[in-house]
Amino acid sequence: MGTTGFQMGRDYSEGGENARETLGQGAQGVELMIRCSEVEGSCWSSTEEQGLSITLNRKKNIVIFAVSIAVIIGAICVYLNMLSSTVAENLMGTADEISRHDVESIEGSLDSLYLQLESVAERMDIYDVCTMEEAQKQMNLESASSEFFNALYLLDEQGALYSSSYVRLEADQHTYDELFSDGREHFVMLYDDANGRLETTKESLIYGIRTPFLEFGGHRFVALLARSDLSAISDQLQIESFDGQGISNVVNPEGYYIVSNSSATELTHRDNFYRVLEAGTLEGGITVEDVRRNIADGESFVINCITREGQHLVMSFAPIEGTAWSFILTVPATVFEERFRPFMTMTIGMLVVVAIVLIVMMALIYRFLRRSVLAKAEAAARAEFLSNMSHEIRTPLNGIIGLNHLMERHVDDVDAMKGYMRKLDKAAQYLLSLVNDILDMSKLQAGKVELDAKPFDLMAALENVCEMQREPMVERDIRFSIDAVELPFPFVIGDEVRVSQIFMNILSNAVKFTPEGGLISIRAQQTLAAETDEVTTEVAITDTGCGMSLEFQRQIFEMFTQERTSTMESQKGTGLGMPISYLLAKQMGGDLSVQSALGKGSCFTIVLTLPRDASRSGDTDGSPASRADLKHLEQGINEEEAHEEEMAASTEAADKSSCEGERFKILAAEDNELNADIISSILAEEGYEVTVAVNGREAVDIFAGSKIGEYPIILMDAQMPVMDGYEAAALIRKLNRTDADTVKVFACTASTLVEDRNRALTSGMDDFLPKPLNIRLMLQKIHEVQRGDKE
Amino acid sequence: MSGSKRVLTLARLRVARFLVLCMLVLGSGLLWACSPQAGEAIHLTIKVPRTGHDVVFDDTTTQIDQVINRMARSFEESYEGKPVVVDVQVFEQNQYDEAVEQALGTEDSPDILYGDFFNTSTYIHTGKVVPLDDVVQGNLREDLFPHLLSMSTMNGHLYMMPYLSRQNVLAYNKELFIQAGLEEYIEEGAITSWTLEEWTVILDTLAQNLPEAAYPMMMYAGSSQGDTHIMTLLRSAGSRFFDEDDHFHLNTPEGIAALRWIQEGVGRGWFPPHSENLEIEDCSSLFREGQLAIYMVNNASLGRYDDRVGLVNFPGSGSGCATIFISGFEVFDNGDPEKVQVAKDFLTHVYQSEELMDLSAGALPASRSVAERYGDDILAYDLFSKNRENVVDFTGSNPDTRAVREIFHGHIHDLLTGAVTPEEAAAALDEECNAAIEEGRAASQLHE
Repeated sequence: MGTTGFQMGRDYSEGGENARETLGQGAQGVELMIRCSEVEGSCWSSTEEQGLSITLNRKKNIVIFAVSIAVIIGAICVYLNMLSSTVAENLMGTADEISRHDVESIEGSLDSLYLQLESVAERMDIYDVCTMEEAQKQMNLESASSEFFNALYLLDEQGALYSSSYVRLEADQHTYDELFSDGREHFVMLYDDANGRLETTKESLIYGIRTPFLEFGGHRFVALLARSDLSAISDQLQIESFDGQGISNVVNPEGYYIVSNSSATELTHRDNFYRVLEAGTLEGGITVEDVRRNIADGESFVINCITREGQHLVMSFAPIEGTAWSFILTVPATVFEERFRPFMTMTIGMLVVVAIVLIVMMALIYRFLRRSVLAKAEAAARAEFLSNMSHEIRTPLNGIIGLNHLMERHVDDVDAMKGYMRKLDKAAQYLLSLVNDILDMSKLQAGKVELDAKPFDLMAALENVCEMQREPMVERDIRFSIDAVELPFPFVIGDEVRVSQIFMNILSNAVKFTPEGGLISIRAQQTLAAETDEVTTEVAITDTGCGMSLEFQRQIFEMFTQERTSTMESQKGTGLGMPISYLLAKQMGGDLSVQSALGKGSCFTIVLTLPRDASRSGDTDGSPASRADLKHLEQGINEEEAHEEEMAASTEAADKSSCEGERFKILAAEDNELNADIISSILAEEGYEVTVAVNGREAVDIFAGSKIGEYPIILMDAQMPVMDGYEAAALIRKLNRTDADTVKVFACTASTLVEDRNRALTSGMDDFLPKPLNIRLMLQKIHEVQRGDKE
Repeated sequence: MSGSKRVLTLARLRVARFLVLCMLVLGSGLLWACSPQAGEAIHLTIKVPRTGHDVVFDDTTTQIDQVINRMARSFEESYEGKPVVVDVQVFEQNQYDEAVEQALGTEDSPDILYGDFFNTSTYIHTGKVVPLDDVVQGNLREDLFPHLLSMSTMNGHLYMMPYLSRQNVLAYNKELFIQAGLEEYIEEGAITSWTLEEWTVILDTLAQNLPEAAYPMMMYAGSSQGDTHIMTLLRSAGSRFFDEDDHFHLNTPEGIAALRWIQEGVGRGWFPPHSENLEIEDCSSLFREGQLAIYMVNNASLGRYDDRVGLVNFPGSGSGCATIFISGFEVFDNGDPEKVQVAKDFLTHVYQSEELMDLSAGALPASRSVAERYGDDILAYDLFSKNRENVVDFTGSNPDTRAVREIFHGHIHDLLTGAVTPEEAAAALDEECNAAIEEGRAASQLHE
């Protein structure tokens, strides 16, 4: 259903004043409205398609935006994950490198100790000793002067061991000689009692080198051994890494510590490395037995361990050459995290900045695109609005000009002149209502409409509106039904003119969009709020018209909206009627709502709460008389329709009977009755026979049903219900008949923009006659066709 | 229901859900904030030097840290307060500095230290060791030997809970004595004593008659370990070692005579050659291998030698001298009163546990009841009990025993090498050791 104020009339008490006001401000009002609409932007969503398109585009853009953000975030997450892995691998590589370096340092320290031991042996060979006690005295002095060795031992070829503290162990009291059995030149081991008890209870290391050259006191010595406190040597073997947070340990295959670094962890205070592992948890499916085996096999490897205390450690193992020991670099995982954190923080910060920049850029692009789309929509809406306004203004102007032409021709015919004058008045009234609508809308938007609250009779106002629509209802054979009008409090205080304007807009729309034979019904009821003495009136006007889509129902109260479907009977109008009614109802503190089903009809409900006219409250009698008046009106309309039908039937019969002789026939497709009447009159006076079609469909059907060449000319209006002129022209050109291509189709339209002209020619029309019609030009073109047709 | 009412109801429901969620979050936070942090265990660190230990009824126990670990596990399992994790850390006897002194004030500081009083008494004067008078209450105070409590008390406060003690006397190798012709000095079933003259004769005889690679008596100055025995030897000529103020008092005729006796012994072959470079462990090995005739033992280590040795007090006036080592627990205040209390609770748990106290039966238990239960099983318990009257104090009220010991063994080293005369050594010992004592006293801070 579309909206227009075409039939609204405005013949109320203030109509003349309003007309003067609005006519004087017309141009300004239109300009103001356009500006308001430009500012509001969305108000220019003049059609359902545009609104829907923008809505869909917005959703699409939001989805694209969200997907883009998700992709950016996902990419950042993947990047950070990969970065984290890479940095962790690099740190592990660093740990491995440090381990190798530390192992080399330890091996270097051990080599240095072997060299010192060899020096002792060389000196022992030089000393002038004859007995074992003298030899032991020298060893005593050597160990006393040594920085590392607490005791020295000579091993003779019989297996006896002589210490620098004079202790002598026979071959059966120890097995240190067996440590050379595999042919090695030197060894180092963690002291325990297994190889023989020495004179210490401290944790000690035992070193040994071969000394095949030593011989004195009747003994031949095969090896020189040394004992040192573990604490003394561990200082030399301890290596700090990762700013002291890395723990360097050396363990033997049994898991006992050779070097135990005090550190941030509790690792070093346990006796045995394997017990530490057993107390904690190993990650990656590695078992303590695997670790034990790897150390025994001299493997380099890395494990992740969580200690009993919950500390996460990374351990890098490396064998120490020449020993059965394994170097362990233990680094708390937090060290990696601390090293990694600044880099990650910087990277995350950078990525966040990049992401923000990208998002801002996307937002700006989206905003730009959105503005661009809206600008296009606004431009389209503005063009359509201007086109509509042009059409709506030119249509009555066309009638006026045509009537003027007729009046010139019939200036002496008083009866004809009276008829023309009535029609002229009708056209002028329409123009006035159109200008009023535009100015009303502009004032409503600007909040400048002031309601003139006065006591009035609501029932009478409703009756007046119904009465004013009596004629069109009768003309269109529309049945009128008063279902339930209960207005027990008709006397209220409000702006009668504006209230009537709302009723008129809705009822006239109902009449306009209800097909012939349709039904319009009215229901009304009132409730009184005793506390405030206000009367709430609810008036529902229901029609059986074409109805509205759900989407259109959402926008019907926006400006310049008009449902455009092929099933509608009218699409004329600026689309201002409903927005004006809606804004007026809201300004009165009421509401206007619609329920509709496409193809079934619509029901508009007006709810107004107005103060009761206390001075006339005594006149209220439950309004049985008012209902009777309305019923009378209903009955009158319906009876008049029956009479009109009878008259139409008799007229049709008369027309048929009077149809004689062959004249040049012109098919005129024109939905506006006045314009159709004027064109018909002008052409008839020129001797042409005119057939009027009220829409494009009818024009196509009439042409298709005519004899070949019966209609050499078709005057085709552009905007028509059911089927517009463009589509009709195109269909006519496609008809399978010889004159389908030759019939001259003239576009006669008030849509005069360049694009309208181009569209007309593109659709198959031959020429373009803008409204108001230039009668002389039109007749000239018709004469040209007629002459060509005769030739 | 109309659309608007439905919307209103839905809005109310959402607001209600939001409020409930907020209350749940707030409530959870409050509960978390107010609830005891059950998951946070208290960590106690007990440090103990590596020390051999025997238990008469348990052959598997050979180290004192095994006993401490049993105590720790028992306490962890039975403590009814917060969860407690007790970490027992073992360090070498020569690493007190690293394990305790350097660790004080750090995260590695001990909460409880088990050790010998002459080593650990130093820390009492740092003000970090808390009095344990509140732990020793009632029956427990009655159960502990008073002389041990007395030796662990300073300024009227008990700073160490005595767990056991070891009495040190000298032991002689009967076989070597026989080989040297000294059978007459061998006495079975007694802790004998010899006069200084007899000592001189015995040592000269041993030096003359022992076989190759065997030596008469222990002597060492390679480190401070075991130097309390050398200090005790300085009483051989009648020196009281300390004066009335517990200062070193060696620069006396008796003290110088004792120093000279030792120095002359070097030349007379009483000690292993270059004994100034030896340590107590070297002498222990020589004695164990039958290469040393006279060495120090205590009631705990006596069992290693079966009946191959005889016992004799250190040379000194009267019946000679013996020394005693009290071992027990000190509690450190590291700034956390809760940990201090838990540490005291640990001691209360140990001293109230018969099972854990019985683990002291091997040395001389500090508990009378343990002594009563296991006295018959502890080797030579009666001998050492009776010899308690000959025990001398080698620490005095010295607040910094370890500093004094570092000075002492250096001068003995010089004495043994002949670098100083006995007079010079006596004067230096008095001067430097007393300076260290005074310095220790000046710096002394006792935890109240």
